[in-house]
Amino acid sequence: MDSLQLLMDGFATALQPQYLLFAFVGVLLGTAVGVLPGIGPAMTVALLLPLTYTLDVTSAIIMFAGIYYGGMYGGSTTSILLNTPGESASIVTALEGNKMARMGRATSALATSAIGSFIAGTIATALLTLFAPFIADFAVTLGPADYFALMIVAFLTVGALLGASPIRGIVSLSIGLFLGLIGTDTLTGQARFTFSIPNLGDGIDVVIVAVGLFAVGEALYVGSRLRSGALPIIPVSGSWRSWMKKSDWKRSWKPWLRGTAIGFPIGAIPAGGADVATFLSYATEKKLAKDPYRKQFGKGAIEGVAGPEAANNAAAAGVLVPLLTLGLPTTATAAIIISAFQTYGIRPGPLLFDSQPALVWALIASLYIGNVVLIILNLPLVGIWAKVLQIPRPYLYAGILVFAGLGAYAANFTIFDIGVLLLLGVIGFFMRRHGYPVSPMVVGAILGPMAEEQLRKAMAISQGDALYLVHSPISIVIYSAMVLIIVLGIWLKHRQARFEAALSDIDTATIRTVDEEIAQQLRKQ
Amino acid sequence: MTSQITTGASAVAGAPRSRRLGELVFVGVIVVFAGVALVMTGFIREPVGSSNVLGARVVPYAVTGLMLLASVAAFVAVLRGDVGAPDEGEDVDTEARTSWKTVGLLALAFASLMIVIPIAGWPAAVVVLFAGASLALGASSWWKALLLGLGLGVLTQLLFGNLLGLSLPPFGTILPGLVEGTGVLGG
Repeated sequence: MDSLQLLMDGFATALQPQYLLFAFVGVLLGTAVGVLPGIGPAMTVALLLPLTYTLDVTSAIIMFAGIYYGGMYGGSTTSILLNTPGESASIVTALEGNKMARMGRATSALATSAIGSFIAGTIATALLTLFAPFIADFAVTLGPADYFALMIVAFLTVGALLGASPIRGIVSLSIGLFLGLIGTDTLTGQARFTFSIPNLGDGIDVVIVAVGLFAVGEALYVGSRLRSGALPIIPVSGSWRSWMKKSDWKRSWKPWLRGTAIGFPIGAIPAGGADVATFLSYATEKKLAKDPYRKQFGKGAIEGVAGPEAANNAAAAGVLVPLLTLGLPTTATAAIIISAFQTYGIRPGPLLFDSQPALVWALIASLYIGNVVLIILNLPLVGIWAKVLQIPRPYLYAGILVFAGLGAYAANFTIFDIGVLLLLGVIGFFMRRHGYPVSPMVVGAILGPMAEEQLRKAMAISQGDALYLVHSPISIVIYSAMVLIIVLGIWLKHRQARFEAALSDIDTATIRTVDEEIAQQLRKQ
Repeated sequence: MTSQITTGASAVAGAPRSRRLGELVFVGVIVVFAGVALVMTGFIREPVGSSNVLGARVVPYAVTGLMLLASVAAFVAVLRGDVGAPDEGEDVDTEARTSWKTVGLLALAFASLMIVIPIAGWPAAVVVLFAGASLALGASSWWKALLLGLGLGVLTQLLFGNLLGLSLPPFGTILPGLVEGTGVLGG
């Protein structure tokens, strides 16, 4: 009841016209940038961060919530409309969505993904509203040893589960942890790995790590083997009101709800993030599909768009649970959000709900609002997003570099940071080239110093007794859960990899034939 | 038009070998770096009589140790034939040969920011970066690249510098001199 009152207060704040405007602009920009090919949610958030630097805290957070949801959604439009031959397998939406688009049903795919995202986002935000205060209350009772255990779990799951190869993930994580060490040690005041460079005394900003790895690294990598010739973009036609046929609604609503149920918990526990959630949802839908539609999987089944898209958005909201209540980032995007909050002078964690309730609840309220704005914008504006996809690639990636430079320079206004950014970009380039995931590195850079702080606190309490780390029942539960999550996660990853390897490219004629067969069968019934 | 698009069906012969060598060099650099960092950790100063149970060196030892172990394990994995798969993406042609020239030119264009921002200010720096990067990536006309760069530079300066109040330098050290010079002439 109490949190409902607080939520209402949050809405009262977030619905004020100027904050509403920030939410609107945030969603619009987040989607526009997220739609751009080659730009994922993490890069969207990192690139748009400078926009919020000079705003007051509430405006910044509200705009940021819009950017986050917009960026999450933008990517699905890209994978549905952009006909990338045989390579979008990592993005499950493209599996069915792109095939639906190729047989002229792009609008239905976009509509089911937009409405599914809205429904999943709203339900997941409601679950966040429900659970977050309890978890925050519980988290206050956790000691430094328990926090350290949670962070170890986050390290290992992120390192082992983000990306295809666990060992490469751990290498990436360790480099990130090392970057986090650079700077002045807070407890002893000693310089660590600063190479006697004064600029490194304050450490390397996580935003610079993220922008360098994601934006500069990606631009260099794409530049090294840029696809020649234009990619065919599937045209979007018809009025958006008639996009979903009656049968589409009938086939979509269950996958939306199931996707939400799968996505939220997977986002909330660090088990591989949205990637695993979308895959699991897809596999579930494929298994549960009834007969006439079953054979359409792989050839443009709407369930295969509706479920994963809902799971994706629900996971995005789920990630916010550990982020807000424990201060624990479990994805690269969450790591950037934490560092953004730090620049606003906020420290996410259990105390946030007590110390700055107005802010937290305004943020949660703006998540609901962001969802509404998202669906209002996306259905009518999809024609514009399709045009955004046509930006000539040389200008697109040159523009990304400009905004990366702006982001790095605006963090501290030194050209030194631009040099660091370029170096990180080159590292990011080689990591992409050789299959090393970059996300664990970003998470390690932000979470490393936090984990060290908790570890040293715990050791100070126990007077150096290492057994203190596993003395509390909670920490023992956490470590046991870790083993379970990792085993489960690696098993899921293997299934996903096997599944993706078995995919084959299907020509448009087959897709159409199957669609017509189903229509005939339905007419007979 | 479709003939220009490559599908990921067949791999270029001989590519795996160079890929393997490339990854070995990359991981090798990390192994060496981790070793150096491990040694450097020993040189972090521990203040005498510090009240901390866990000093400033413990976590760095753990992290650099992990980095060394993980990178050696990755090195061995590559030697045993487990070569990393390159990232895929909408605009990435996985079959194309790496264009090192493009990568070098892009890096150079980006590095130019470090010189042009202090000398000539933010908008000018954007023009150099944008035109340089888009031409390196194969933009068809240089004047379009310059114009778009100029537009983007002025736009970001107005939006971020003037409207949002980020202190982006509009002119730098040399341009004001020139402007002042003409100002004196005009006055």
